Amino acid sequence: MSNVPIPPVDAKVNITCCEYCPVACAYKVYSWPVGRDGGRDAADNAYGRDIPVGALSGFWPSEEMHTVTEIDGSPHNVIVLPDADMEVVNIGGTHSIRGGALAKKIYNPEGLTADRLQRPLLRVRGELVPIPWDMALDLIANLSRYTIDTFGELAWGMKIYSYQYYENVFAGSKLARGAIGTPNYSPHHAPAAGDDVPGLSDVGIDAFGSAFEDDKEADVILIAGSDPYETKSVRFTTWTAAGGAQLIYIDPRRTFTAQYALNHGGMHLQLTPGTDVVLFSALAREILANGWEDTEFVDSYVASREELDQESKYRKQLFGQTAQEFRDFIMAEPDFALDRAQEITGVPADDIKKAAEILSGGDGPQPKTMLLFEKGLYWSHNYENTAVIGNLGVLLGATGRPGRATSRMGGHQRGGQSGAGYPLEKSPHSFEGHPIEMDTEEWLVQGNTRMRWIVGTNWLGAMGASHALIAKVAELVRRGPQVTSTDPATAEAQLRARMDAGGMVIVQSDIYLNDSTEYADIILPAATWGEETFARNNAERRLRIYEKFMDPPGEAKPDWWAFAQVAQRMGFEGFDWKESNDIFEAAGPRSEGGRRNFLALVEKAREDGVKAHDLLRSYGNKGLQTPLGRDDGGELTETVRLHENLKFKSDSGKLNFIRPDWATVKARNAAIGPDTSKGEVWVLNGRVNAVWNNMFDHVRRAISRERWPVNFIEVNPEDAGARGIESGDMLSIESDNVLDQLGNRTTGAVSAVAYISDSVPPGVTFVYFNFPGSPANSLTSADSTLQPIARRYNFKLGKGRLTRTGSTELGRIMSFVPRNLAPQGG
Amino acid sequence: MGVPLSRREFLFLGGAAGATAAAGVVVPIAISSRNDGSEGGGAAPPTTGTTTTTSTTTTTEAPGGGETAPPVETAQGYPRVMVASMGSLEVDTPVMFEYPLKGQGNLLVKLGRPARGGVGPDGDVVAYSNQCTHMGCVLTDYDGQHKVLGPCPCHFTTFDLTLDGEVTLGHATEKLPRVILEMDGDDIFAVGVDRLIYGHDDNLAGGEPVA
Repeated sequence: MSNVPIPPVDAKVNITCCEYCPVACAYKVYSWPVGRDGGRDAADNAYGRDIPVGALSGFWPSEEMHTVTEIDGSPHNVIVLPDADMEVVNIGGTHSIRGGALAKKIYNPEGLTADRLQRPLLRVRGELVPIPWDMALDLIANLSRYTIDTFGELAWGMKIYSYQYYENVFAGSKLARGAIGTPNYSPHHAPAAGDDVPGLSDVGIDAFGSAFEDDKEADVILIAGSDPYETKSVRFTTWTAAGGAQLIYIDPRRTFTAQYALNHGGMHLQLTPGTDVVLFSALAREILANGWEDTEFVDSYVASREELDQESKYRKQLFGQTAQEFRDFIMAEPDFALDRAQEITGVPADDIKKAAEILSGGDGPQPKTMLLFEKGLYWSHNYENTAVIGNLGVLLGATGRPGRATSRMGGHQRGGQSGAGYPLEKSPHSFEGHPIEMDTEEWLVQGNTRMRWIVGTNWLGAMGASHALIAKVAELVRRGPQVTSTDPATAEAQLRARMDAGGMVIVQSDIYLNDSTEYADIILPAATWGEETFARNNAERRLRIYEKFMDPPGEAKPDWWAFAQVAQRMGFEGFDWKESNDIFEAAGPRSEGGRRNFLALVEKAREDGVKAHDLLRSYGNKGLQTPLGRDDGGELTETVRLHENLKFKSDSGKLNFIRPDWATVKARNAAIGPDTSKGEVWVLNGRVNAVWNNMFDHVRRAISRERWPVNFIEVNPEDAGARGIESGDMLSIESDNVLDQLGNRTTGAVSAVAYISDSVPPGVTFVYFNFPGSPANSLTSADSTLQPIARRYNFKLGKGRLTRTGSTELGRIMSFVPRNLAPQGG
Repeated sequence: MGVPLSRREFLFLGGAAGATAAAGVVVPIAISSRNDGSEGGGAAPPTTGTTTTTSTTTTTEAPGGGETAPPVETAQGYPRVMVASMGSLEVDTPVMFEYPLKGQGNLLVKLGRPARGGVGPDGDVVAYSNQCTHMGCVLTDYDGQHKVLGPCPCHFTTFDLTLDGEVTLGHATEKLPRVILEMDGDDIFAVGVDRLIYGHDDNLAGGEPVA
């Protein structure tokens, strides 16, 4: 029946990390020619272990950890095995269901990855036709030049992964923001570039990210808007849960981690969506009212009025508060009193009081407290929610010391070192007279973008009001001529003519076709993980090498190469890189001063006469925790935790509180929330364990698709009963009251199979966020002027009506058991 | 663009790989076990480079009711061992046995609900390795309400015993190895194991068979 081949002693071994969640577990890649297997004796295999191995050995490759691909022209076995020697991150070789199956990501011409993009494609009469790289690159360069010369650089846009490898992000942003100099640049996850946690930044705390060891050091951990077991899986089991801290879990859903907290002496504060401002402010008020705050910390590290008045950041001037001002504000707002807070948030007043006591230690000794959060918090109400968790962090002294931090848990890993600053002064958008990063989707929908390069994102389903956006994009790419010939001059003239007619040309770089490539004119085949040597940080700022172990399929190329080629063909200088290491070294100086600072590594490599990639490789899978420095002997020094010198993000180095505008948030909830009179419910969306954010790979992975053959929606039994819905029924979830990019009312819909579960309360549902063909963000409003401080979407506050469209036989192939079966406490 | 997908793989990918699935349309997916090699299965990438020694046989009529048991597999080299008798089973009361090698624990349970790969008159008797496919810890908690094994005490993976041992939530990259059962009168025999047991490159290597 089943078996997995054993790597021989001389198998090639490369190191890498998982490319998915922000934990970035470390792996070893074993490759060897098919037919040259090793043996079961320790002396006969590359593991140096007798096989079979025992429990927790870390040396068992499951079938998902093995594939066959072509390396150097011949079939090779490849095993991607969690690194059992790890003493950090994934200690002992633990791993998640996602990274554990990385081998199945690898190109296999006889497997499910056979449809990797391998040649540049041009859409000719609606069909994608292979063209030579030279033609594709010349077309992009010539059309880019035409766009800029004719319509200005704001008409040329780039939408690109913010989190990807240093080498690719640096090159792309250098082209767009530097060489072309456009502010029409936004990341995969938002309509505008810029800070995703502006409220917390204005408090003065750097959100990305706390050291995993602090999860073990902490006595109490508050987690808001993230289920770490689902989405940062190994961090939860190896660090967060393993440390035994008391968990205060805040989420509208009773997730696995919520149930885990309850089973282990913690709490679940199950708030009504959109009411985080009130819950966090009520916690702060309860702490202040009882004198439970960290008085010594607040007295020492919070700015005075005089210091605050000197701050150069305008938002600190608008919203910044001293400790006394914050106290007065919190105590005066009636909605932050316990009884009103209970009414608004749905969290019992006693629970708020109890949580405040646990977080602060009440009248007893102060515990070491961590405040961790992710998208459920900051993609609900962005500025205000990130401010209120920061305010609580300051009151509790939760920063800069062992077991004390206020931090994101992380969405993606971090390789977003830009190659050029954002040209803010060119942005057409502003707040209170100050320029802010432009909402590129609003700009596009207004017809201002004539050419856009989409890089590594299935962007249409990732943006709010997805269906309205798709309709607009379809109209823009069909306005004016279509390409009718692969003759370069003809194709270029036709695409120019389309721009002249007010239409748009889309270039997309990716590894597979996806929902968004339907609208692309030119598609570039990208090289990916394992096919090029890259570097990236994880959520605790651990910088590591991701080694190349095979060539990309066909003519696929790393994105940095395509950016450099286009830049050079446009006549820009500074893009003559020969290999990815050249870019990594170029990025070093631009990282200086930040949380990613790896300049010291680049400088040491230069002194040692080696490549920076190779020096990083010498630190193995443990890597280096940034920011880096040098000691007196010239050796590299690491940084375990941010703010360990208790200096914060402000001119004075002090913290401050930020006044959240609850009245505005309340009005926003009314504008975008469900209309219960129409039968609408909240439709929250997010990631789930088995597929996370990776449907590009996971639609091609058997274990994932067997778990999630279609999108699903968790519905409370009460809501299901009232609508005659059973698990396994197909539902259409629709709203005709979604605000589009221009603030106009539009429609959205997804279909999903009903998964009846009391993990969601009545009136609240949960759906996977970007299932192919079923974009949950079509139910999310995209009027970013509702969040004018930083143009962001209220991604997590979707809504819709549930309509049963029929039954299915999915019950025969898909499990509907509760997903929150957590272990009992010991 | 590479090797075209087979029809099965195309069905597996459904509309997801390039086309937009229309609202309400279910993306097709193969139903049966990934590695059984039988028609309609094989949703997984082919296990190139491995040796398949499975054969599919239709067995014996089920006892008593005269219904035909579903086809089961017998695998070359696996011992055929009686592990329980139908009459002694109670719903939701697991029975433990070692198979195929000594020291390898398995759990046999009458679920009280038809299950994929289930045998017996109600098609509800299944057996699985009790070693978690994440890192080999022993799964100790059978949950009769939900017919799941888990959460694993080490990293909390849970497996659905009605659905071929599928991971419902957790770290494991594999379904639980399912012990292939065969009925002979009232007796239940283990005749093979579908999928690798933790720690092994081959389920029959590196130990002493139970028979």
